Amino acid sequence: MSIPAAEHAPGLASADGIAARARGLTKAYGSGETTVLALDSVDVDVVRGRFTAVMGPSGSGKSTLMHCLAGLDTVSAGQVWLGDTEITGLRERELTRLRRDRIGFMFQSFNLIPTLNALENITLPMDIAGKKPDEKWLDQVIDTLGLRDRLGHRPSQLSGGQQQRVACARALASRPELIFADEPTGNLDSRAGLEVLGFLREAVDHLGQTVVMVTHDPGAAAHSDLVLFLGDGRIVDEMPRPTAEAVLERMKRFDVIRTRFEDDPMSPEEN
Amino acid sequence: MLKATLRSFLAHKGRLLLSALAVLLSVAFVTGSLIFSDTVSRTFDRLFASTAADVTVSPKEGLDEAVPSGRTATLPAALAERVRQIDGVAAARAEVDVDGLTVADENNEPVGPTTGAPTLGNAWNPNDRSPVELTSGHAPRGPGEALLDSETAGRKDVAIGDSLTVIAPPGSFQVRVVGIVTFTTTNPGAALVFLDPSTARTKLLGDPRAATTISVDAAQGVSDEQLKQRVAAALGAQTYDFRTADEQAKSDVEQLGGFLDVIKYVMLGFAGVAVLVGVFLIVNTFSMLIAQRTRELGLLRALGADRRQVRRSVLTEALLLGLVGSTLGLAVGIGLAAGLIELMGLLGMNIAADEMVIGWVTPVAAYGVGLGVTFVAAYLPARRAAGVSPMAALADAEVAGVGRPLRVRAVAGAVVGAAGAAALVGCAVSERTSSAASLLGLGVVLTLIATVIAGPLLVRPVIRVLGGAFPALFGSIGRMSQRNALRNPRRTGATAAALMVGLALVGGMSVASESMTRSFDQQIDKTLGADFVIQNTNFLPFPREVTDEVRDTEGVGLVVRGRFTPVAVRLPDGDRVETTAAGYDPRLDEVANITYTQGNSAAALADGRLAMDRDFARDHGVRVGSTVPVEFQGGRSADLTVGALTDQDSAEGFGTQGGLYFGLGTLERYAPGGQDSALYVNAAPGTSDDELRAGLEATLDPYPQVQVRDLADYKQLVHDQIAVLLYLVYALLGLAIIIAVLGVVNTLALSVVERTREIGLLRAIGLARRQLRRMIRLESVVIAVFGAVLGLALGLVWGLCTQQVLALQGMAALAIPWVTIVAVVIGSAVIGVVAALLPALRASRMNVLAAIAHE
Repeated sequence: MSIPAAEHAPGLASADGIAARARGLTKAYGSGETTVLALDSVDVDVVRGRFTAVMGPSGSGKSTLMHCLAGLDTVSAGQVWLGDTEITGLRERELTRLRRDRIGFMFQSFNLIPTLNALENITLPMDIAGKKPDEKWLDQVIDTLGLRDRLGHRPSQLSGGQQQRVACARALASRPELIFADEPTGNLDSRAGLEVLGFLREAVDHLGQTVVMVTHDPGAAAHSDLVLFLGDGRIVDEMPRPTAEAVLERMKRFDVIRTRFEDDPMSPEEN
Repeated sequence: MLKATLRSFLAHKGRLLLSALAVLLSVAFVTGSLIFSDTVSRTFDRLFASTAADVTVSPKEGLDEAVPSGRTATLPAALAERVRQIDGVAAARAEVDVDGLTVADENNEPVGPTTGAPTLGNAWNPNDRSPVELTSGHAPRGPGEALLDSETAGRKDVAIGDSLTVIAPPGSFQVRVVGIVTFTTTNPGAALVFLDPSTARTKLLGDPRAATTISVDAAQGVSDEQLKQRVAAALGAQTYDFRTADEQAKSDVEQLGGFLDVIKYVMLGFAGVAVLVGVFLIVNTFSMLIAQRTRELGLLRALGADRRQVRRSVLTEALLLGLVGSTLGLAVGIGLAAGLIELMGLLGMNIAADEMVIGWVTPVAAYGVGLGVTFVAAYLPARRAAGVSPMAALADAEVAGVGRPLRVRAVAGAVVGAAGAAALVGCAVSERTSSAASLLGLGVVLTLIATVIAGPLLVRPVIRVLGGAFPALFGSIGRMSQRNALRNPRRTGATAAALMVGLALVGGMSVASESMTRSFDQQIDKTLGADFVIQNTNFLPFPREVTDEVRDTEGVGLVVRGRFTPVAVRLPDGDRVETTAAGYDPRLDEVANITYTQGNSAAALADGRLAMDRDFARDHGVRVGSTVPVEFQGGRSADLTVGALTDQDSAEGFGTQGGLYFGLGTLERYAPGGQDSALYVNAAPGTSDDELRAGLEATLDPYPQVQVRDLADYKQLVHDQIAVLLYLVYALLGLAIIIAVLGVVNTLALSVVERTREIGLLRAIGLARRQLRRMIRLESVVIAVFGAVLGLALGLVWGLCTQQVLALQGMAALAIPWVTIVAVVIGSAVIGVVAALLPALRASRMNVLAAIAHE
């Protein structure tokens, strides 16, 4: 956390230290009377070199936010920048290239291509781009994640935790400007989950990466620098230097609201 | 359960569509060929039944003419007069009906059909049975007048007043068209020329007192059968052939049958290939559907459905597919038959499409084939489905069948393969044609089955090699596509098998035909010593005046005539063999190089002597000096002495066996009236080949049907004939490929669906659509090339063994058509690219987020 992010971040460095930014970000599903707002005019800044967690009850729009920031989904209104690049309005081909070169991904499950071994999976984005990986950096990532003796294994020969570590290594390998992790611990037992969170933390602290993690686990969110709370498509709260207990307390207040509007039919189901 | 089955059928209808297409194609070919041949034979039955006289008297014909001799059998025209006196005869006509004519127009172009249908010369005896009526002009009167049928006239732009040259066996003559006749029935495709009866006798038969048949009409109240009895009794039952209208029609249909049978068998061959290849496609589709539905089936089992119910559910689905495919196939088959009938119309055979005959056999065969194929193809997948354990409902969604060991396949493949290999080795070392051929057939079937069984085992090693360069060439995209192809060896194997079958057939046939071509070339080089060979385009005999004119051409040194005649020989071992014998002029040695094991040309061609192939002689206990009774066409017979034995490469084939020949004088004595089929010409000393050729071409100018050929032309002619066989093979290949492409499309489409999440992930981490498409294309190419390599390897082995069998027939040369093989491999890669088009497009259009979230 003490290392200035700009030193490590390649590519288009934003002077203000913001890795991604959204203004008036709105995502609507359906039309007319059945319109559901998954994101309702969200303004957000993701600070470079930080570990940001996005929390909220299911249907709050947290995954949609991540997808829009990562250029995986189109927006209904508003603008999104990655560094200095406005990605809203980019064409499909440019978005693909942007994801390939400037963003790292970790998903809840099915992160790896089953036909490729661990090393091939890690270098896949660079292979696709036809780029040579930075060997020194790659070695550092592999050693940090403790994957040295697993590189030749296929995903089916790896445990769930090891698979997520490979996914983490892949996200880090190309030194992206931003890593998005969507429930990276959702399918893991608590020990393996802790391990993965530890690595993400380390990626931020020692490798100078920027991580945005979507989670519904207060324990996982506690590993971040900043927690953004989403409710009904809006950022309703944020919590710097969170602890598991504080996050849990904050989440309980959602539950209260939730109980109150339990039969709310407008709640979008996107998780 | 039935409801669940129906739901599932409808849910997968897109997937089943391609299978239904395969069923449709095979059913369409089966029904198309049945309807076509039914329709055509009904049309001709009617035609012949309506045109045949109540009783027909014709010369006795003992032997079938496998090779035309050019001889027209005749009977005395005066018989008509005698027949008229018989009680119960209303009318009797002496008919003249000569086929194998050539009729040329003023530009010296033949007016007859080019499709192989004959040009017929007839006496104009108008009566109510005549298939034609005079529609313009007047009946022919005197030697210079003729009628022409309207279709030929229309096709060749011949009008009343034009003159034609008729090249008949006794000689050529000029006629003027004085009238046009129009068919009142179906025209079987022939060109018809009518002359007045006396001209027809003189000019077509060369004998004013001869006729080819006597048509007899019955008086009121006399049945055909009674009439036949009376006529036969009056003329002597043994003297002539007597046929009632029914019998005559039947015999006419049989004569035409050969041509129709060819079309029927070709169509059925197509149906067979479609069925064979279609089975793979259906097996694969059902296997994949079941693999996809493992959890669903597990749930059904967990809820209490027993194995039998699950199996029945899958089979019901298959039967529904078969039902839909057969029904559509039946409809397409009717269209196919209509198209064929239309095509026949273009060739001059007019069959009204509204007369289409759909017998009860046709729908029975259609549904039999359609349902049978799908049932058989779905049986194994259905058993596998029934074997799904209830636990599968709970297990992870990993595709079933991938990990199951291939041990059973390995063992079965090895056993069948060993048996097939043994049969092929047996075929290669066998000394006798018949046993070698049956071993070849057995070996081909067994090795094909073995390769299909063992295909999945070969996927890993072969695709490792084939796709080995992919990672280097295409990076991680190449690596993923290669590994995707390896992912489910069973599926890749079955998909490639469809292509393999077609290409194995092509490989084998092209090796065989290439070897045949080379063998013929070598034989021609070895045996043909003449400067030029003069022959009819379609090997029909030509009139004697051609021979005379050729002899009189300046620069011609030697002319050796070759003529064919059907014979039946009674051999010492008791066999009676009907075959074709040749007759040659004595100086045969100067135009041909014949290898004699005993005797020589002089001994072979001497009066009353006979030569035959050494192997045939040995098989039947014949020696030099043996006396062999020979029956000739027309009833004469003679005891000929074997004067020489030969070592001929091509003693058998095309309706001949034994390689029998004798002097032309011997032939002429016992079977007079034949025409020459070939003239072997050598230049006179001092005449160059070019001069001679020019001279011969000038001489033959009035005979458009006869060509001069030197050695190279002669080879080309043989090549062209073998090429016709190859075209058929390529057409079969085309069909096999269409179905195989459907199979590859099917497999890829399913794989794309199965790998939805994987594709979503790849797109999320930055794989461009173009790259994704390339990945799928490469997988498709490697599968297709795998099928091609397997098929060609198998085809090469078959081809080598076929060549061994051909070698027993004297076709000793082996030639491997490398160009074709390379072209097929490249072609298969193209097929892969084409097959991947749709699945790749579909994959690249997937919504990334939906794909990632896909269950």
